[in-house]
Amino acid sequence: MQTRPILEVSGVTKRFGGVTAVNRCSLSLARGKIYGLIGPNGSGKTTLFNCITGLERRDEGEVRFKGGRIDGLKPHQVARRGIGRTFQIIRVFPELTALENLLVVTQGPFEAARRRAEELLRFVTLDRLQNEYAGNLSYGQQKLLEFVRVLMTDPELILLDEPAAGVNPTLLNELLAAITGLRDQGKTILIVEHDMKVVMGLSETIFVLDYGEKIAEGPPGVIQADARVIEAYFGR
Amino acid sequence: MKRAFQVGLAVLLFGLALYPTMASGYGIRFMLQLFMWVALAQSWNLISGLTGYVSFGHVAFFGTGAYAAGILVTTHGWHWVPASLAGGVAAVILALLIGYPCLRLKGPYFAISMLGLNEVMRVLVSYFEGLTGGGSGLSFPTQPASVQIYYAMALSALAVTGAAYFIITSRFGLKFMTIREDEVAAEAMGIDTARYKLGAFVLSAFVPGVVGGLFARDTGYIEPISVFALIITITMIVMALFGGKGTVWGPVLGAVTLFVLQELVWARFLFFYQILFGAIIVVVVLLMPRGILGVLQQRYHLPRTI
Repeated sequence: MQTRPILEVSGVTKRFGGVTAVNRCSLSLARGKIYGLIGPNGSGKTTLFNCITGLERRDEGEVRFKGGRIDGLKPHQVARRGIGRTFQIIRVFPELTALENLLVVTQGPFEAARRRAEELLRFVTLDRLQNEYAGNLSYGQQKLLEFVRVLMTDPELILLDEPAAGVNPTLLNELLAAITGLRDQGKTILIVEHDMKVVMGLSETIFVLDYGEKIAEGPPGVIQADARVIEAYFGR
Repeated sequence: MKRAFQVGLAVLLFGLALYPTMASGYGIRFMLQLFMWVALAQSWNLISGLTGYVSFGHVAFFGTGAYAAGILVTTHGWHWVPASLAGGVAAVILALLIGYPCLRLKGPYFAISMLGLNEVMRVLVSYFEGLTGGGSGLSFPTQPASVQIYYAMALSALAVTGAAYFIITSRFGLKFMTIREDEVAAEAMGIDTARYKLGAFVLSAFVPGVVGGLFARDTGYIEPISVFALIITITMIVMALFGGKGTVWGPVLGAVTLFVLQELVWARFLFFYQILFGAIIVVVVLLMPRGILGVLQQRYHLPRTI
């Protein structure tokens, strides 16, 4: 039986002045899978993320999450529906402690939130630094903190914008295992990543953007052999 | 350490509560003005130090409270206590009306819009002479009430400091601080930043409104240039910055230090005080933008609850 996709992006267009950053883009994500979103610099990946999460208002098209329209909602409303995201440029709360960074995004019983926060900090080996201000952590540590912060809200769909950039190789393996683990718990994940090894290794389906248009979609093996993709990356 | 601090604080509050029974009239009026500055600097800290929206027109709430209370006392015969509370409510209403459009602005644009608000309020109050007495001001009945005003000012300062403590230490309060830290990330994490911003703004307007009403009753006479004076905004900002914005006790320390300094220097050398005040602004901005407690907090890794 075919179940309804968790996220449907249909014909989304976003223009900035004369530049069409995203052009009639359509994606469909099934629940419980990992998707990759790749493309050369400036191909519209982050803008598409922003259109999904409400940070940018799309000019045309529709975004549906679990069947309901979410284009036009404010970012916090999108987040409350169950979409979490991280940012390409780190956006932790620098003058809150690591622990506070996680607690502040939660609602509901405090003790449960705290146990969950401590567990996640242990998981990314930041437990000893829980009372340190986030701004004092290293780049990689902040990246991990941002990653676990998104998990605190228990989103069903997680958008990760370059999760591997700047994370050391040992930790990277754990991070990748964590992402797969989330998928196994039934989460849906969409990753923007420049590290091809990472994105090809993780994703079941990959979307390729070029100049704001989706030029290819398919499993990693097919994408790697696709003539238009090779052209987009290396030129004709 | 923490215990000693709590005991010290309790002793201090107890002492301040008994102070009017043994102090001179001058001592009481000095202290009530000191409390007023603590309340104002701390109110500014709520929106600008903790939520990160720097307001250059916070005196607008003070002046609005002063006039609302003044009109209620002089033309409607209210007692000054409910009138001052109504002054706080008037400031809250103004904050709601002006906060909705102005809090969409960021950084310097918000600061300047607040500066403009104060100018507009001053002109409006001057213009509606029938209600406000216009440029000739409002005079209050003059039975002395220094002791009662002393306690009212002290309660105002305590209340807003309590609010700062709550914001800094509770999970709910930290949500206000995420706006200062990273508004986009806060939104993306499901925090309704527009609502929290407006909440912080309204909270930061209430006490200045109340204190404005108390000030009006205490001085017995208000006019547009005295209660919508830019220097009042600047003074509360400098006090908060000097002590350390974004901390609980920074604005208190800043207000106490600078007000005592002012009283010591000002009486003797009027112009020298202004030079000194200017020099303090420059030194704070250049050498310790985080203020005294901000510097200590960073160097010794202290919690924000200092």
